[in-house]
Amino acid sequence: MSTPTSPAPRVALFATCLVDALRPAIGFSALELLEQAGCTVEIPPTQTCCGQPALNSGDQAGAAALARRNIALLEGFDAIIIPSGSCAGTLRSHYPELFPPTSPWHARAQSLAAKTFELLSYLHDIRHWRPQNLALPASCTYHDSCSGLRELGVKHQPRALLAGIAGLTLTEMPEAETCCGFGGTFCVKYPAISTAIVSEKTANIAATGADLLLGGDLGCLMNMAGRLHRQGVPVRAFHAAELLAGRGHGPAIGEPE
Amino acid sequence: MTAAFTARVSAALTDPTLKTAIERTTGNARAKRAAAVAAWPSFEAARDLGRDIKDHVTQNLAFYLAAFERNALASGAQIHWARTADEACDIVVRLCRQAGATSVTRAKSMLGEEIGLPHALEAAGIARVETDLAEHIVQLAGDRPSHIVWPALHKTREQVREMFACLHHEPGGLDSVEAMVASARRELRQKFMRADVGISGANFLVADTGAICTVTNEGNAELTTTPPRVHIVTAGIEKLVPSTAHAMSLLRLLVRSATGAELTQYTTFHCGPKRADDADGPREFHIVLVDNGRTRMLTEGLEDMLRCLRCGACLNHCVVYRQIGGHAYGGTYPGPMGAVLTPVLDGLPTAQDLPRACTLNGLCAEVCPVKIPLPTLIKGWRNKSWRLGLEPRAVTLALRLWRFAATRPALYRLGTRLALPVLRLFARSGWARALPFASGWTGQRDFPAPARQSFLDQIKERRHDRA
Amino acid sequence: MTARDDIFAALPRAAGTAPHAEAAALLARVPALRPARVGPDQVASFLERLTGPVIAATATRLATRAEIPAAVRAYLAANTLGPQIALQPTQALQTLDWSGLTPHPTIAVDEPVSVCEADYAVAETASLVFRSSPHMPTLFAFLPLHHIVVLEAARIVPWLEDAAALEAARPAPRNLNFVTGASGTTDIEGTLVRGAHGPAHLHVLLIGGQMPAPAPQPANVP
Repeated sequence: MSTPTSPAPRVALFATCLVDALRPAIGFSALELLEQAGCTVEIPPTQTCCGQPALNSGDQAGAAALARRNIALLEGFDAIIIPSGSCAGTLRSHYPELFPPTSPWHARAQSLAAKTFELLSYLHDIRHWRPQNLALPASCTYHDSCSGLRELGVKHQPRALLAGIAGLTLTEMPEAETCCGFGGTFCVKYPAISTAIVSEKTANIAATGADLLLGGDLGCLMNMAGRLHRQGVPVRAFHAAELLAGRGHGPAIGEPE
Repeated sequence: MTAAFTARVSAALTDPTLKTAIERTTGNARAKRAAAVAAWPSFEAARDLGRDIKDHVTQNLAFYLAAFERNALASGAQIHWARTADEACDIVVRLCRQAGATSVTRAKSMLGEEIGLPHALEAAGIARVETDLAEHIVQLAGDRPSHIVWPALHKTREQVREMFACLHHEPGGLDSVEAMVASARRELRQKFMRADVGISGANFLVADTGAICTVTNEGNAELTTTPPRVHIVTAGIEKLVPSTAHAMSLLRLLVRSATGAELTQYTTFHCGPKRADDADGPREFHIVLVDNGRTRMLTEGLEDMLRCLRCGACLNHCVVYRQIGGHAYGGTYPGPMGAVLTPVLDGLPTAQDLPRACTLNGLCAEVCPVKIPLPTLIKGWRNKSWRLGLEPRAVTLALRLWRFAATRPALYRLGTRLALPVLRLFARSGWARALPFASGWTGQRDFPAPARQSFLDQIKERRHDRA
Repeated sequence: MTARDDIFAALPRAAGTAPHAEAAALLARVPALRPARVGPDQVASFLERLTGPVIAATATRLATRAEIPAAVRAYLAANTLGPQIALQPTQALQTLDWSGLTPHPTIAVDEPVSVCEADYAVAETASLVFRSSPHMPTLFAFLPLHHIVVLEAARIVPWLEDAAALEAARPAPRNLNFVTGASGTTDIEGTLVRGAHGPAHLHVLLIGGQMPAPAPQPANVP
């Protein structure tokens, strides 16, 4: 545990199941950024999923089972950092709702919620970390993922951090705060509606003429990038943390390693 | 996923004009609401007050219903009670027959739509004249409303022009929207004056006066309720407010959220029948107070939804509504508020898709003038759907497997190790165009090839290297 | 069990005491959170909203009531309307000198013009308030194409709650109408069209109050 004389907090990086399986670069970026920001980072090796698919499909028992597991796994850390607004929102906003107030798990869920943060806002607001000596000559546009935006207030932090990358210009798209149609399992349960929604989003992205699409949630980024690629629109997608960790010169989402 | 819903969605998404029509009206509404909210620095505090006023009424519903009844009776109104939609329609039809009505005018009311009053009047052989312009269009088209504030927003001006040219008695030129509105004005003018009964809804029931409040921008409510001998109001029991002053606070929120105006052009409090020496007004004033599932909502965790003012802001801001429009929802109420209310009215098995067909992005709750936690209520229906076994088998099976693996880290890691190379087989230069069991995704999007090795496995290897 | 009994039986039992204190406490929060719509000069606030881009009504300021008929004549001439006017049957209006015009105390379904007097108005929203009575037929505010409204400047109240307070102090009329602009519809493709069923034009004759100085123009209320 951190003490007043050793200010480095001991934080758990909860990578999320999507980052773990599909885009480790986001996990490594998060790790490096947290270390740059003075944290002692641990990556609990038995972490799996936050339980959001069960939670949003009505399977409360399944979500509670995963919540109990994650609470026990993570509650010993000073902070839990997640490179996803929606997974962080699950721990922060929804774990406590899964347990009746009389249950001991409710109090434990609340105390976990209080120290769970989305990565970019944690770096900006809590650690006051700012990028140093980073340059990337490119134009980008930023999609505000819904849970991060509305449950956690993530809006200005990624923009403020990205503004510290020399040569990177941000062109806001129309309706940057409008849902991309991902919605977790929604996009596979109602693919026709989801496609209609994401097609409007990709049109807005393309209209900016930006080279890069940035965001803070891999699910939404995969949805938009996957649609852009199917449409043949050459916009490249990254998690904002990847650029902030200096990985903007590497392969974007869906580009061969 | 019911076939009926899928078919309605498909019809909406392939409609060549629907999306443009929806965007014209809802885009306008969003912009005007945003401007009105920006001009009101204490909007957030006002929303809190709106929520608290409505909650206060819900918590004291028996008191305010009794007070309203007492004061309305004292004003000369006649009060009727209906447990169900059918009871409510029966009462209205009986009152129309007692009045010897051959023609009734109706000012748009969502409760009237909810209880199926248009159909009930027709079935009873009573000629019904819809007076709200949009409802008039919907009636001529033999159609259903697709929005709670703009029922005809799915109709283009070309479609309206064609219909008016065929069905209006003096259509005139119809070469502009102005000319179409003028044609409807001519068409309905005499019908207002000749009706035997006028039927309206109520935006508020004022407990301490017994008055009912209607809001319109066209003025059709007053033209519907003033000339006929009989005025019948149908209203849900949740529409109560303690006093006129409380109604004012809610009107500020309702109108800005609906249209971005500060007050509707015509905001009228109707109290009792025509006074003995009044110059005009109906001789009889009936108020039908309708439950139709509302008392059940109180006990089923849906009491927050009884705050709903029917402003339509959640529809206008919903990404799903903006794609599929109102008809696809299949009930009286579309959009997020419909996803919560339709299962109450039509039953969850019939309406099971509505709470599911939502991305839970939360914008509806953010714009709701009375802070209804719509995503939470929608998730409540999903929980119930899961418990009742209404979720598709493939979904429940997949989630049970996921839970089984995700609570067993060793198994989970093994599964990841096995799955990633398989998934990579489907990818060409970074992207997969098709994946087994994932046509929902790859039908219209490519899927990025996964990593060679998962993040956690790579971390583990690094640790080994360091050690 | 009647439907009424069943509905009441399904409701949570009412508290022993009436919830008046709580209802009053809710209203006590209102003054702090109203939109900043009314400046110290209520008349200016009212006129700014009435003639602003949203409501887009017109207004003429008059020093005295005796000027009303001439102002009506000027309005009719400017809009090439005939001399027929439906004149609200109040003594105050009927006894003015209407020479040159042909007023009648009733209203027809296709009446071109009505002239009536608002009981009062609300500055916050620029709403004109009419109370139905033997002398105020409700339809005078809904049937004509042009609605000319006489309003005494002294009868402008600041807020909607002031209107509610005025009404709470006297018996309710059959109809209490808040008229905020001419009739309008956006039902066809969201396009605003005036005169859907009610009046297409709203013109206010504002009597008295501090007349605006010729120049400079009075500052707008923020």
